[in-house]
Amino acid sequence: MMHVAGVDVGSTQTKAVVVDIRRRVVGKSLVDTGAIITAAAQSAFDAAVEDAGLEAADIAYVVGTGYGRYKVTFGDTQVTEISCHARGARYLFPDTRTVLDIGGQDTKAIKVGDEGSVLDFCMNDKCAAGTGRFLGAGAFALDIPLGELGPLALRARSPVKITTTCTVFAESEIINWLARGKKVEDVLMGVHQAIATRSLSLLRRVGVEEEITFTGGVTRNVAMVQILEQMLETRLNVSPEAHYMGAIGASLFALDQAESGAAGALEALTIESRLDSKRSEPELCSSACPNPIIPKRMRDEEVAHL
Amino acid sequence: MSVKQATPLSPRDEILGRGRREGNRLFKEWYAALHTAAETGEHTAYVFVMGSAAEILKAFDFHLSFPEINALQTAVRKVSLEYLNRAEDYGYSTDVCAYVKADVGMHLDERRHPNGRLPRPSLVVATNMCNTYVKWVEIWERLYGCPVFVLDLPGQRGIGWSSQPGDEGFEADRRYVQGQLEELIELCETVTGRPFQVDRLRESMANVNRTAADWSAVLRLNQNVPAPFNAMGDGLTYMGMLSAYRGTETGARYMADLREEMEHRVAVGLGTLPEERFRLHAVGTACYSNFRRFLELFADWGAVFVNSEYLAYAGGGLDRGIQFDLERPLESLAEQLLLTGQRSMSNMFFSQDQLADTVRDWKADGIVYHAVKSCRTVSTGMADSREYLIRQRGVPALFLESDMVDPRLFSEAQFKNRIDAFFEALGARKLAAARGVAR
Amino acid sequence: MGVAAQDRLAEVVESCRDLVEDMTFPSVRRWQQEHPGGQVLGHFQVYFPEEIAHAAGMLPVKIMGAGGRIEAKQADSHIGSFVCSICRTSLELGLSGRAGFLGGFYTPPICDVARNLAGIWGRNFPDQTARILYLPQNANSRHAVTYLREEYARLARDVERMTGRAMTETDLRRSIAVYNENRRLLRDLYRLKRETPWLLPTTEAYVLAAAGSLMPREEHNRLLADVLELIPARSGRKQDRVRVVFEGGFCEQPPLDMLQLIEEACYVVDDDLLIGLRWIIEDVPDSGDALFDLAQSYLDRSSYTCIQHDERKPKEAMLLRRFEESGAEAVILAAAKMCEPGMDEQVAYQRVLDERRIPYLLLEFEEKMTGFERMRMEVETFVESILFD
Repeated sequence: MMHVAGVDVGSTQTKAVVVDIRRRVVGKSLVDTGAIITAAAQSAFDAAVEDAGLEAADIAYVVGTGYGRYKVTFGDTQVTEISCHARGARYLFPDTRTVLDIGGQDTKAIKVGDEGSVLDFCMNDKCAAGTGRFLGAGAFALDIPLGELGPLALRARSPVKITTTCTVFAESEIINWLARGKKVEDVLMGVHQAIATRSLSLLRRVGVEEEITFTGGVTRNVAMVQILEQMLETRLNVSPEAHYMGAIGASLFALDQAESGAAGALEALTIESRLDSKRSEPELCSSACPNPIIPKRMRDEEVAHL
Repeated sequence: MSVKQATPLSPRDEILGRGRREGNRLFKEWYAALHTAAETGEHTAYVFVMGSAAEILKAFDFHLSFPEINALQTAVRKVSLEYLNRAEDYGYSTDVCAYVKADVGMHLDERRHPNGRLPRPSLVVATNMCNTYVKWVEIWERLYGCPVFVLDLPGQRGIGWSSQPGDEGFEADRRYVQGQLEELIELCETVTGRPFQVDRLRESMANVNRTAADWSAVLRLNQNVPAPFNAMGDGLTYMGMLSAYRGTETGARYMADLREEMEHRVAVGLGTLPEERFRLHAVGTACYSNFRRFLELFADWGAVFVNSEYLAYAGGGLDRGIQFDLERPLESLAEQLLLTGQRSMSNMFFSQDQLADTVRDWKADGIVYHAVKSCRTVSTGMADSREYLIRQRGVPALFLESDMVDPRLFSEAQFKNRIDAFFEALGARKLAAARGVAR
Repeated sequence: MGVAAQDRLAEVVESCRDLVEDMTFPSVRRWQQEHPGGQVLGHFQVYFPEEIAHAAGMLPVKIMGAGGRIEAKQADSHIGSFVCSICRTSLELGLSGRAGFLGGFYTPPICDVARNLAGIWGRNFPDQTARILYLPQNANSRHAVTYLREEYARLARDVERMTGRAMTETDLRRSIAVYNENRRLLRDLYRLKRETPWLLPTTEAYVLAAAGSLMPREEHNRLLADVLELIPARSGRKQDRVRVVFEGGFCEQPPLDMLQLIEEACYVVDDDLLIGLRWIIEDVPDSGDALFDLAQSYLDRSSYTCIQHDERKPKEAMLLRRFEESGAEAVILAAAKMCEPGMDEQVAYQRVLDERRIPYLLLEFEEKMTGFERMRMEVETFVESILFD
């Protein structure tokens, strides 16, 4: 029986998935990306293959995705995470027409067509204010462990309005609110709402159509899900497999290629990429801001768990 | 999609690449002349690509210096950040147009430019086609005390509004423009101490007639498959010639030669890529600080820009040709400046329907919007225009964001991600269409 | 002043403030009820010849954004990112249906964002007449006034078409008289502010002036005439505050909270807030051709802003004149975020003030800003440095 794999190299975590010819996920793994991306891609792949009870030679085709997709050197081809998330979302929720992906460092809204094709997409990859990073800044300023963000925010009675768009300055705005006697949960909810509002703006650009699938690291945050559902006035599809959405989509692309008889040899890619150095690009707000400052206390893997 | 094989090299092939070669050579010559003018003090006018009044200025033998071209050159030469920093240290906000800042940075360094020292302005002419021009010229006015002329070209008033010669409204606008041109001529006489010679004006206008006719033909040649030139690649050199040498015999000859070269390319089926897989229309300016990389990201997918709105408005609106009537030069100049000005501004503010038409006529697969932070003139309406096109006309459209000259605002990773996703979708769309046809 | 009069004054100010802050436009809706079939003409910043709409029985209303009072949720997906808030929230007023009462929307070519706004407006509200009113940008051409007269004639024809009503010279004269009166009253208000600022806080003067753009001018004239009698009779003592000129409020409006924190430490003795309503500085004369007189007044009897280039009114010289004539001691140079002309001009203003050793404070603002602690600190520091110099 033929198997394929998808490897999704994100800025903080790398996910790999093995899928069989019947489109069933038979193995998966998740590792921290760390500094050496090629190694992360390899170990995620190896772990997923092992999880499937197979060996590397059993994998007929590998597709790399995510920002680090060109570092999946053992892969056969690369597909963007936009296309992969669209397909992955359709796989998990076959009536998906719109995907909202709030990641650690970018947010995307994707309009999905039949067979999971991408009809349109809109990205916020320039400003940390609409991404999970903003939540991280909030958590840091409020001194709250990440896993507690959601439940605590839900206790808010009168959320404040956070107007700063700069993640760095948001911290001082948050501290200001606290100094004025606002409750932590009210401030925290304000942060959540700010992210939700920006995400909604992206969604509107591509046009919201049900069903909407919510994906990305932030899906674990119960408050975020609730706020988005309130704002959109509809239920969102949320899967516990949200982390693997990209890798699943990638593996489906791999399956397409394998089924159509494309070469299965593990060719090394030759396209040069300077993606490494661009991983934490200057964000774009009213000032050309230096690299976003991740609070020292929060390690990369924690950002991913937002 | 192109599948045509180029025919073997023929004797005419030595003209291949001539447009680029000659363009580069003429460009260097032009800057050398400016450098000389900086030393000799020959009269130089600072003008803009959107409305230079070159026809009149060349009749007085002004050298022309284009601050927009000077600014983008600092980015092409990878030194723009230095100029931007200087302007920002002087007090200009990060959010001010980067062209203005790159230029101010140069003036603060006594007009030292990577292409040579630039002369002081004896005269400045700006149109209203970009409102920032008007703020820009005030900066030079303060620095040099030079005479400034704002040539006001009233534009399209709204969607669905149009005005043609003969209409009451058009004639009112034309009388205003013509009156201003007469005032500009008076000013040129004062500055140069020379009398105006209408025959010199006719000469310039005749040259522009030829140039514009050939340019418009060149643009249309890109409707062929494969397209003979990349509208955002070499196209920008050709457009540069359009502005720099507007009204001159050299400029007219250059454009005639270019047309010949492009017609030859079409005749032998020579495109810009080994395999032309995607054809695109661009909206917005180029990304000069990362110019080559920008093009490569598209070329990697076998994509060529067959047309660009940039060529239209930054080419002084000559894209659809111009026909000055030399029997009534000033009136005709006013008329045509008004028409080309209106069209250029419309390309920026009211462009939605003509974009769909261009996509159809140039057989493009989609549109690439490149919004630039500096230029609110072209970028403000893009998101809305794009939405309109996708919803109403079903045209695939990619949205990119960076800047013309500020390298801090370009992120290759982000560009690549968006570009790749766009082509993945386009490719899938084409595949589905082909399957649909096959069935 | 008697208590009753004091109360009445407070009431009027309060109602003006409510009106200015109410994004449901109650005064406009009331006018529509009172004038069934009446048409409302929306105009953007900075200046608009309202007389021409007024003369055909329209209600001209200035659309000047919505500050922080509404969220530009939908506008964000239509308009680019690096754009001033006022254009965004103005578009939002349209997209959210709040400005559905408009028959037309006009914007002058003050900047490229405003020109783009006409395109965006037209694409999204095809039932409204969205136009650029091309006020001349070569104010120094001998031909500008003739051109502008023709542009005004074009506007008049649009208005006639929208209302189905013809407009006569007499109609225009009547409207000009109303607006001349309005401008006179505003000048009086500003004189009061300049001479006795302790009797008229900036925020009050502001809402009293701004309310006029939302109601029939006749009504505003009555309101102003009323308050102009009451204010001088107020009791109030002159305080030791720095007299400042506020420069930078010509388009996007600073939030009232910002004006408030400034007036706690300063007397704003002159400003360019909503300068469009006071653009014409003398009465529009009567030469027998009203459109011509309006055009000429726009060009020759007008104030200044950074969005107009006119060799007769170099900006630095005009600012210095405003500074001197108002007896100010310092200048607050404000610019709205992302405002290209505003930011460009700030540099030139700074230079001239540095040269003349006039103290100034540079402020960047956004109509929707909510946190003012930092700004308060800056203003206080600035004032201290002047007082204790």
